[in-house]
Amino acid sequence: MSKIIIINSLRFILLILLQVLVLNNVNLGGYINPYVYVMFVLLLPFETPKWLLLLSAFLIGLSIDLFMGSMGMHAAATTFMAFLRPSVSRIIHSRREYEPSIKPGINDLGIKWFLSYTLLLVFAHHTLLFFIEAFRFEEFFSILNRIFLSTIVSSLLIILLNLLVKKERK
Amino acid sequence: MKALLLFIWKHSFFFMFLVLEGLAAFFIVSNNSYQRTSFINASNGFTSSILSASNSFTHYIGLTETTERLAHENARLRQLLPASQIRKIDDGFVIDSSNVNQHYRFQAAEIISNSFQKRNNYLILNKGILAKVKPSMGVVSAEGIVGIVKDVSKNFCTVISVLHSKSAIDVKIQRNGYTGTLKWDGKDYNYAKVMNIPSHVHLELGDTITTSGNSSIFPNNITVGTIDKFDLKKGASFYDIQLGFSANYNKVRFVYIVDNTLKEELQELKNMTVDE
Repeated sequence: MSKIIIINSLRFILLILLQVLVLNNVNLGGYINPYVYVMFVLLLPFETPKWLLLLSAFLIGLSIDLFMGSMGMHAAATTFMAFLRPSVSRIIHSRREYEPSIKPGINDLGIKWFLSYTLLLVFAHHTLLFFIEAFRFEEFFSILNRIFLSTIVSSLLIILLNLLVKKERK
Repeated sequence: MKALLLFIWKHSFFFMFLVLEGLAAFFIVSNNSYQRTSFINASNGFTSSILSASNSFTHYIGLTETTERLAHENARLRQLLPASQIRKIDDGFVIDSSNVNQHYRFQAAEIISNSFQKRNNYLILNKGILAKVKPSMGVVSAEGIVGIVKDVSKNFCTVISVLHSKSAIDVKIQRNGYTGTLKWDGKDYNYAKVMNIPSHVHLELGDTITTSGNSSIFPNNITVGTIDKFDLKKGASFYDIQLGFSANYNKVRFVYIVDNTLKEELQELKNMTVDE
């Protein structure tokens, strides 16, 4: 139990540092910025109490906000994403039942499951984030474009990271 | 009452979600730059010191390029020195330094956090109250203008970038002096729009656009960019002008904070005239 808490706290800190120090300086094609830190919310164990799921998502969003000077925007998006997480994991079917020992990830549930799980939740996160950031509907299509492209890039990076970590463990 | 509490308890997940989103919304409205301006959060203590440490590392890696840029600028400035110029017709006019006052003071600063890909962009510089930086001073780089100081903490200050939906800068066409306003449309950090240039003005592609010196923030004749495209719609009284920035906001590292030493005097004079 305490091992799970330590792993997740470490992941919390490392993902924030990765996002703030490396990825925030990455900018593809002028307007795609990948937000990989949301991986923290994706990888929280299934048996996490629901209140803790929301609260930790809110906290990691708020930490990113502190670094980026965008108070509240990321917090709102990550909380929304955490709120959707139980429903999304119920909708997507996997080869195996969700047992207490199973963790969300490619390891236990396969690439197909993880891909759809990641794409859906990252899309929800990016949609809310980019619309709050623009705060208007005038530039609707350019925002939509940003959402789709960024979702794809973020999801790819998250899956790559997941694969890397998987290899190391074996 | 009991039924209500029971209802809330049963749907506690949903209500907690609402509470946290409400909190986030409160933060957004009360703190955010665009929705309302107060950016001081990011220029405070802990986060700034981490960003600053990371920057000293990336700056080290980019040293070669930075040195080159600075050397280039030095060369350009050297050209402007009286010693490297010669008077074509000697009319005996001598610049007496006791007749000249420093109007603008420049102070070098380093960018420790930069953004250019959002709709509203900000920078953080490593100079603050201790370096006598005050809000609404101009910020320029060797290549062009950068922005205007917004909030100042002890060691840092935040800057509203030119790449911001609220920024409007007085500019002019260097060749003929017609003035207009610079606005950023949020699409590409290399381009912006110049408004209010009347249709009778003759324009050419590549015309240099500089600051006009009408505002008391930027000195006159600081380069902003060149005309990249222009178009006159039928019946319109103003041009649609697209400007290509001379500065690459992706790469700016070192900037100058501009202090207009006569700003207060100017402001007093303006107030006097308005009161009458």
